Amino acid sequence: MPQKGAARSGPGRVLVAVYAVFALAATARAGVQIATRFEEAPLAYLLSLAAGIIYIVATVGIARSGRTSHRVAMVSCAIELCGVLAVGTLSLLDPAAFPDDTVWSGYGSGYLFIPLFLPVLGMLWLRHVEKGRTPERAQTS
Amino acid sequence: MVEGLTSTIQLVSLAMAVWCTVSAFRDRPMVVPHLVGMAVLWLLTIAQAVVSSVVWAGGDPPAEPATLVGYLATVVLLPPACAVWGFMERSRWGPAVIAFACFILPVLMVRLEQIWNPPVV
Repeated sequence: MPQKGAARSGPGRVLVAVYAVFALAATARAGVQIATRFEEAPLAYLLSLAAGIIYIVATVGIARSGRTSHRVAMVSCAIELCGVLAVGTLSLLDPAAFPDDTVWSGYGSGYLFIPLFLPVLGMLWLRHVEKGRTPERAQTS
Repeated sequence: MVEGLTSTIQLVSLAMAVWCTVSAFRDRPMVVPHLVGMAVLWLLTIAQAVVSSVVWAGGDPPAEPATLVGYLATVVLLPPACAVWGFMERSRWGPAVIAFACFILPVLMVRLEQIWNPPVV
């Protein structure tokens, strides 16, 4: 049985691995783009960098076991979901604003739509873990 | 890039992915044979990095050097990182981590090839 409150065990172990890959993909991609051709699409590249940093925060937040870490991870998952929905919609409505793709363009279509599902899975998993840790609170609230 | 090496890595990686998916579904944790498989995969990716460096130094530079180095580093670090992360988990979710990583690796190899030889548009 996984330890109570440990978001990094069980399915959480896969979740952290997926998050780590996306953190690396988004950050490395943004790093290369900003270093080599920032002037071409500054908005898209800065968004990529922001996405990468948020993924890093979420990865660390889920991998750590404290309640505060989980709360931080929860918030970054929420930001990711808003980000992928906003950037996804904008990139379809106004493709000229995004001349170069980000991880969130087209709702993450370049990444098998994983950026769209990942924050939802993250939030569901964190909620599940927190419920397991404090059953009496989950009942009263 | 050396064609044979890239496809070997892709095949070994996919074989590991299938094997670990089966282990995960059979509710087995990661065992030493899984680790040996990942070690083989790791050696192959290191060979890929060495071969790429030699070809590069031999006068065939890639179209986007920074991106290529990033992908090569990722490809070399992925097998040991996921092997350690998966082995720490003593349940079916350990092999599940490896399966995920080994499904990604072939995709990374495709990107690596594309960066080296950009498709003519």
